[in-house]
Amino acid sequence: MEYDISIGVLIVSFSFLLAALVLAFIRLLKGPSINDRVAAMDVIAVVVMAFIVVYSVLIDNDIYLDLPVIISLISFIGTVAVSTYLKHRHG
Amino acid sequence: MAKIIISILLLAGSFFILIASIGLIRLKDLYSRLHAATKAPSFGIFLILIGVSVYFNTPMVYIKSLFVVAFIYLTAPLAAHAILKSFREEDKDKPEKKQ
Repeated sequence: MEYDISIGVLIVSFSFLLAALVLAFIRLLKGPSINDRVAAMDVIAVVVMAFIVVYSVLIDNDIYLDLPVIISLISFIGTVAVSTYLKHRHG
Repeated sequence: MAKIIISILLLAGSFFILIASIGLIRLKDLYSRLHAATKAPSFGIFLILIGVSVYFNTPMVYIKSLFVVAFIYLTAPLAAHAILKSFREEDKDKPEKKQ
């Protein structure tokens, strides 16, 4: 709370995360198999968590830090559900 | 001094997540893509959460960051294992289909 991080650091951090989001979204669009798309979804979940955490530094308030806990659990459940469906599809 | 440490941690974490995404789009097959997509984002969000914990410096934030890091480090290898296991089931069927 008592340190004010300079806005340039936060802007550079946000731009790194935005570039990572765009690249993972390109892989989500053109992935050859469904498994590539699931892996891209996993990376997108981590990027969204990092967005929320850096944004909570930007607004100097820690109320949004509950969200990454939920997103990490939900993303794992979604990944395992889709993978189990794909595994049992042929059998 | 703490300001410099927080800035370096935030920038390094974002940079590692960017590296993971570049690896996700540049590498050739699913095995190497999952190698990039599993380890680097975990380390990146670990660094970002350390930086945010030092920034806020309250016990609740430390506990929430610990939860997030524990969940990520427990579930990322399991998710990669599940994805690759479903991929290998399809991979085994492919040579029979070609013949």
